[in-house]
Amino acid sequence: MGQAVDIVKRGGARPTERFSRDKLHASIRAACLSVRSPEGEAETTASNVCDAVIIWLETRPEVTSHDLRRKATDTLETFHPEAAYLYKHHRLVI
Amino acid sequence: MEIVSSLSIIAFAALIHASFQLSVSVLTLLSGHAIGSKTAHGKLLRLTNGFVFGVAVMTLLLLSFISLIFLHSFSGNVPLIAWASACGLLIGLGVAVWSFYYRRETGTSLWLPRGIARYLTERTKATKHSAEAFGLGLSSVIAELLFVAAPLVISALVLIRLESAWQLVGIALYTLVSLLSLLIVNALIGSGHKLSRIQKWREDNKRFLQFAAGSGLLILGFYVYIEKVVTATVYSQGVF
Repeated sequence: MGQAVDIVKRGGARPTERFSRDKLHASIRAACLSVRSPEGEAETTASNVCDAVIIWLETRPEVTSHDLRRKATDTLETFHPEAAYLYKHHRLVI
Repeated sequence: MEIVSSLSIIAFAALIHASFQLSVSVLTLLSGHAIGSKTAHGKLLRLTNGFVFGVAVMTLLLLSFISLIFLHSFSGNVPLIAWASACGLLIGLGVAVWSFYYRRETGTSLWLPRGIARYLTERTKATKHSAEAFGLGLSSVIAELLFVAAPLVISALVLIRLESAWQLVGIALYTLVSLLSLLIVNALIGSGHKLSRIQKWREDNKRFLQFAAGSGLLILGFYVYIEKVVTATVYSQGVF
């Protein structure tokens, strides 16, 4: 990725942080594993989603964590709809 | 007949308790985090069983505690005003559950103070040992106290009129029946069902569950009011 992208956290309550591919990768991988995907498939899906998100971020110096999550969910939807469902509703379970 | 009727009221109240969803939500989230972090199946089962055990212990303790308070206050002879108040609580809560048990958004977010919901979510994420899962089970019942208070109160009022041995049976029955939904979800998770399907089913049927819980509270409230308040009043005035 050419430039560093700042992620504005929800509601602005927590400080802005730099985009981390590893962090996004880990969260997508966990969502895939949660729906009992094999580990290799989870890794591949997470890598594909991260690549798509990074391309999307290239023209944006700053995005909100909500937008980042929405973009990751939309991309994950095409690779793994069940994992995307859990990823999308993670904060809406309780 | 009195024992059958009392145990039926307790079982029905426990069934209403089982239809409340906070503990199921926490269990779903807990297993999601555990499976997502590649936890071994044996450890996953220890975590979920620990959680269910925590819920069981807190339910049992709460029912016993409320029963003890009523036993000391009323000495087994429950005044009509207590029955009427408990029925009012059931009916009021039934209407409240109908109106706003779930939040008006996608997912299965409940009408809980957001601070408590955030705390439970964070604690669920941090839970790695079965002892922590047990504690999480204890706290999830406390967090849902606003909703489960009415079935607990009515069950406690019914319990204190029974003989000691039947009181124990009643407490065990309430605890077991109130755990049914958790036990089913726990069995589904343990047998390898996908969390996304469980959560999707819960989301698709949340309005039905809300309607069932609210209606159950109203039905129980009216039934107990007729049986314990109206009947006693009519008999005391010598109509029959």
